[in-house]
Amino acid sequence: MRLQYPPNVRIIEVPCTGKVDINHLLMAFEVGADGVIVVGCLEGDCHYMAGNLHAKKRVSRVKGILDRVGLGGERVGMYNLSSGMGGRFAEIVREMTEKIMELGPSPIRKATGTALKAAGEVAA
Amino acid sequence: MSKEKEKAAQDQSRKGGNGKGAAAPVGAVMVVGGGVAGIQASLDLANSGFYVHLVEAKPAIGGVMAQLDKTFPTNDCSMCILSPKLVECGRHLNIEILAPAEVQSISGEPGNFKVQVAQPARYIDLEKCIGCGLCAEKCPQKVPDEFNQGLAMRKSAYVLYPQAVPQKYAIEKETCIYFRKGGKCKACEKFCPADAVDFEQKDQVRELEVGAVIMTPGFQTFDPAKYSSYHYAQFPNVVTSLEFERILSASGPFAGHLVRPSKDRKEPKKIAWLQCVGSRDVKTHSYCSAVCCMYAIKEAVIAKEHAPYDLDVAIFFMDMRTFGKDFEQYYNRAKDEQGVRFIRSRIHTIDAAPNDDLLITYLDESGEKKSEIFDMVVMSVGMEVSRKAKQLAQTLGVDINQHDFVNTTPFAPVDASKPGIYACGAMQGPKDIPESVMQASAAAGAVSATLGEVRWTKTKVRETPPQKDIRPEDQPRIGVFVCNCGINIGGIVDVPGLRDYAASLPNVVYTTDNLFTCSQDTQGQITKIIEEENLNRVVVAACTPITHEALFRETMIDAGLNKYLFEMANIRNQDSWVHMKEPEKATEKAKDLLRMAVARASLLKPLVEKPLTINQRALVIGGGVAGMNAALNLGDQGFETIILEKEDQLGGNARRVHHTIEGQEVQGYLEDLIEKVGNHPKLQILTGALVVGFSGYKGNFTTEVLVGPAMYERKIDHGVTVVATGGREYRPREFSYGEHPRIMTQLELGDFLHEHPEEAAKWQRVTFIQCVGSRNKENPNCSRICCQGAVKYALQLKGLNPEMDVMTLYRDMRTYGFLEDYYRESREKGVLFSRYKLEDPPQVEVDGDQLSVTFVDHVLERPIKMPVDAVILSAAALPNDTEELASLVKIPRNAAGFFIEAHAKLRPVDFASEGIFLCGMAHSPKLISESIAQSMAAASRAGAFLADTTQTISGVTAYVSPERCAACLVCVRSCPYHVPQITGDNVSEINPALCQGCGTCASECPAEVIQVSHFEDDQIAAKIKTLY
Amino acid sequence: MIKAIPKPIEEIIENVKDCDKLLIAGCDGCVTVCEAGGLKEAKILASALRLYFTQGGKQAQVDDTSLTRQCEKEYLAQLSDRIDQYDAVVSLACGCGVQYLAEMYDKKVIYPGVDTCFMGVNEERGLYSERCQACGRCILAETGGICPIARCSKRMLNGPCGGSDKGKCEVSKDVPCGWELIYERLKTVGQLDRFENPTVPKDWTTSRDGGPRKIVREDLRI
Repeated sequence: MRLQYPPNVRIIEVPCTGKVDINHLLMAFEVGADGVIVVGCLEGDCHYMAGNLHAKKRVSRVKGILDRVGLGGERVGMYNLSSGMGGRFAEIVREMTEKIMELGPSPIRKATGTALKAAGEVAA
Repeated sequence: MSKEKEKAAQDQSRKGGNGKGAAAPVGAVMVVGGGVAGIQASLDLANSGFYVHLVEAKPAIGGVMAQLDKTFPTNDCSMCILSPKLVECGRHLNIEILAPAEVQSISGEPGNFKVQVAQPARYIDLEKCIGCGLCAEKCPQKVPDEFNQGLAMRKSAYVLYPQAVPQKYAIEKETCIYFRKGGKCKACEKFCPADAVDFEQKDQVRELEVGAVIMTPGFQTFDPAKYSSYHYAQFPNVVTSLEFERILSASGPFAGHLVRPSKDRKEPKKIAWLQCVGSRDVKTHSYCSAVCCMYAIKEAVIAKEHAPYDLDVAIFFMDMRTFGKDFEQYYNRAKDEQGVRFIRSRIHTIDAAPNDDLLITYLDESGEKKSEIFDMVVMSVGMEVSRKAKQLAQTLGVDINQHDFVNTTPFAPVDASKPGIYACGAMQGPKDIPESVMQASAAAGAVSATLGEVRWTKTKVRETPPQKDIRPEDQPRIGVFVCNCGINIGGIVDVPGLRDYAASLPNVVYTTDNLFTCSQDTQGQITKIIEEENLNRVVVAACTPITHEALFRETMIDAGLNKYLFEMANIRNQDSWVHMKEPEKATEKAKDLLRMAVARASLLKPLVEKPLTINQRALVIGGGVAGMNAALNLGDQGFETIILEKEDQLGGNARRVHHTIEGQEVQGYLEDLIEKVGNHPKLQILTGALVVGFSGYKGNFTTEVLVGPAMYERKIDHGVTVVATGGREYRPREFSYGEHPRIMTQLELGDFLHEHPEEAAKWQRVTFIQCVGSRNKENPNCSRICCQGAVKYALQLKGLNPEMDVMTLYRDMRTYGFLEDYYRESREKGVLFSRYKLEDPPQVEVDGDQLSVTFVDHVLERPIKMPVDAVILSAAALPNDTEELASLVKIPRNAAGFFIEAHAKLRPVDFASEGIFLCGMAHSPKLISESIAQSMAAASRAGAFLADTTQTISGVTAYVSPERCAACLVCVRSCPYHVPQITGDNVSEINPALCQGCGTCASECPAEVIQVSHFEDDQIAAKIKTLY
Repeated sequence: MIKAIPKPIEEIIENVKDCDKLLIAGCDGCVTVCEAGGLKEAKILASALRLYFTQGGKQAQVDDTSLTRQCEKEYLAQLSDRIDQYDAVVSLACGCGVQYLAEMYDKKVIYPGVDTCFMGVNEERGLYSERCQACGRCILAETGGICPIARCSKRMLNGPCGGSDKGKCEVSKDVPCGWELIYERLKTVGQLDRFENPTVPKDWTTSRDGGPRKIVREDLRI
């Protein structure tokens, strides 16, 4: 499809969003990600049955933590896509990038002076 | 075919000849047709020990499914689910794809056919072509793109579609300038970086020896130009449903943007679908095409999803035929929630309106004349047999029916009239994808049953060198290969810069860049470099692992390295392709992705794929027609099989069905089947058997059974399980059922007609009431078989007494496929059909011995009361009670209690749990012929599993470090497959043979003692930590 | 087992905000089982606190670990060679573990990271309910295996109070009446006659009468 999206996302492949650990999400922020998105199968369509529902809970917990430690929960998000929804993926990356631009760099990056980037985790 | 003839034919095919004492059968099979059915049949056969020649008329396999945007009823992206099968087929060591190619002639006998196959020149050397697409880019000749139904242009040098398998280009001789203008042009040859263009190539004919032929050339769509009043050829915005699929498709002519084809390219605000274009019409095709109602609903729903505005969609139809599994709910959602308008009216004419709009005039249900203007009209075109497919049937010498489809019988649904030749998919009759896939597996099963003894005689085996011992303490030595992918990557990303950057990364000892890292000669180079540089890890920065990881992993194996020591950085699909306008940032991103890949590669561990031991016995649960056929096929394949039947005799529901709508005797067939099963040396039958325990995993199950009146306990070890627990007829609570002996269900009528035909012949008036216990609030499913049942019995009653008034009160007549012909025949013979609405059902009154029915005539719009001699309730088909079995075997069921297959489209007889298969009414209501096909499919899949004794357990599985395990049960409770168990030592244990590798347990474990091999925390963390 | 829940992170931050070096110490016992204080939670808390400090511009060191059981000296001793480097330790063990850790390292500031709730059972993942209040003198034999002290909101010892309504407690419609449960259970096991003998006033001396309790098992001591 080759739909264009902003080049500031780095994708990390996992077998299923069920494998996305809370500690991985927090680690991405610790090393300086401005935002993290978790992209899994559509709800009800998880290739491994329920991994995406576990991921959803974890993302919502990370949101709570980010709110409380001063980074802001809106920097992390969970999205559900099918493999046929490349267009929506590009859209999500654009939306997330716009949101991050609005929020400005992560306070972690401001404190440590790393360059602007966002990270994403996608289930293969 | 008569019973005797059928038997004789089978005996003949078993002997593998016609008594001439022919040579041993050939362990190779030809599959003609590379659509989804041909692909499935090829994979099933190749995986179970046969060498397959897959013959496809087009330059790539994929068929019509590759052209579809989404598939009903799950709305899965069609290409996404098909693509893995295409790739598997393309890479399979034991499948040879001949494309384009056509069968010219056949000789020989079952087991030993000789088939001549013509292969027209492609003018591209398949060995050399790297699929880069430069030839197409440089080719100056534009031609209409048939894959996009002519809505877009392609070049004379082309690949059929982006994901085509083989991923190789072809030059179309008919349109190529070089061929037309005699020696001029050759632009493709000039620019091809791989020297693959060869204008000297000649057409070839090959003779192939095969033991059997499966023909599945598929269908073509009806050409609506034949209806002059629709003006398809004149009005640009009248399109076929297949054209509309391409319009919706993201890879289609408008990149998924919903616009109409007229010059204004306007976003349509109003679209109409016209059903039955080239179906249910004696002037074109009298049969029903069976799939159009569902695809029209799907297209309407998806179109609404596509449009960022409120799109008005209307479907003009006669009967809404949503008869398949979960289809009715799909229809209900479209109607009640998604705002699709359903208008019951067959449209005669499409008139022109200003600005390329279209005017449709119709009578609504109340008889009022209405007109509406639409921006677009989609013709729901039916399926028909192409001229070439008909020719193929003639070439192979098999009978076709009056509609040109291959003739088969209900009890042998995939056997063509000539032994050794099988038919499946849409060539056997109009059908949807899962039915085609089922039949394809069934045909593969039929082949396996006759050629079982020559398995693995023609197959190839990959020779691999011994694996090098890479120890954890060995310093990683990483080789990095950066791919230019022609100009796909190199045109955007600074590949030399990236290559040099790679050299600066830790543990990297070798770097290079290639024009095409995936080309055959590069694989050879990589193998050599691994040896020379003593590499123990390899990183390829190129395209996507989805299509290419398997290839590079094979190269690792060829070089003696464990395949798990390989890592890919996706710098094309996730970088150069999507950041074309920002080359610098794309290069920067490529560096990051490569650095992350290298960081992970350093931590990768070699993993052992343990061989899976497979018990060679099969267990079939259920001894009805489905279960017996599955068992018989497995037995014929050579596998010892045990049938469990809970009743004290075999036969199930078929005991109460006396003949099929085609007039075939069911009881004779059943007797014969029971006898075959009983006498089969490989089969064992346990009646009165109740499953009370089930354990183990694929290849190694143990089932505990209580058998017979004495309830003695038996433990059965087996490698596969086939679930064929069947269904039952609903016992109506409505329409005064039970208050009068002549208010009967269809099965009761069948028995009555069998036992007392003379009584029934005296009846003056009989009324059938359809959808009793189906398509209502309690049971939203359509029971599929009752419409044809009513037609069948109505015809039988008319046969007993042509003067009898037979009235059928129905909601939609769902006589799909060739069943439509019987529906028409019944109308011709005077059977009356009157439609009723769910909210206004007929009333049945019992007054002493007298019966009467009151219904609202939909033309007169007033109630009519008539005395009747019998009321026949077409009661729903429900699954048998399997709640306990489902929980023992841990297999899922839907709300109605039917079992849920692994995938509604492409894995219709598999359960998600490997080694367990499904068939018959336990899956959903179906006809005997459909149950037989599905049971053969299940047996085929089960047999293929048993036959493939080289299976290994994936290395990507979870494992527990037991020292700190708190036995907290979190993994036990969170695993979607119920794999982890707490052992006698009070720690969790995960059986790698059962683990699917999703990693849910690992990420939930509160003690952090679970890891997933190949996705270990440190390997993922390495990527994250090196992000910045 | 003991059931606990993670403390709100802001409460922990309030305690540790002035620290520069922190250790988060999980416990592999009960709090791992109820997913409140195992190694995973220790890592999450450590990571969250690092984020908190870094965004505030402070380079604090926050480490994580988990001990086999924080209610044992031997396991607590595993920290002896490293605990001095920290300003404070946040213990994710139950109240017993937190205190024992503080006792063992008497100069070290120890903060709790979980709220210890009760002794109870895992009904399913994420659903825990109380069963025992450790009164020190078990009467389950008389009450059909259902404890009126833990299960009756008023700790009634001789049948339900007037607030029992259709089997539910007047405290909440979601709480079954403990005595209704006891009655049904005794009926099921055919011991309704136990109701004939009124329970004599309970000896509460074993239940927090006289301060913190202690068990001395001479049979086990040498």
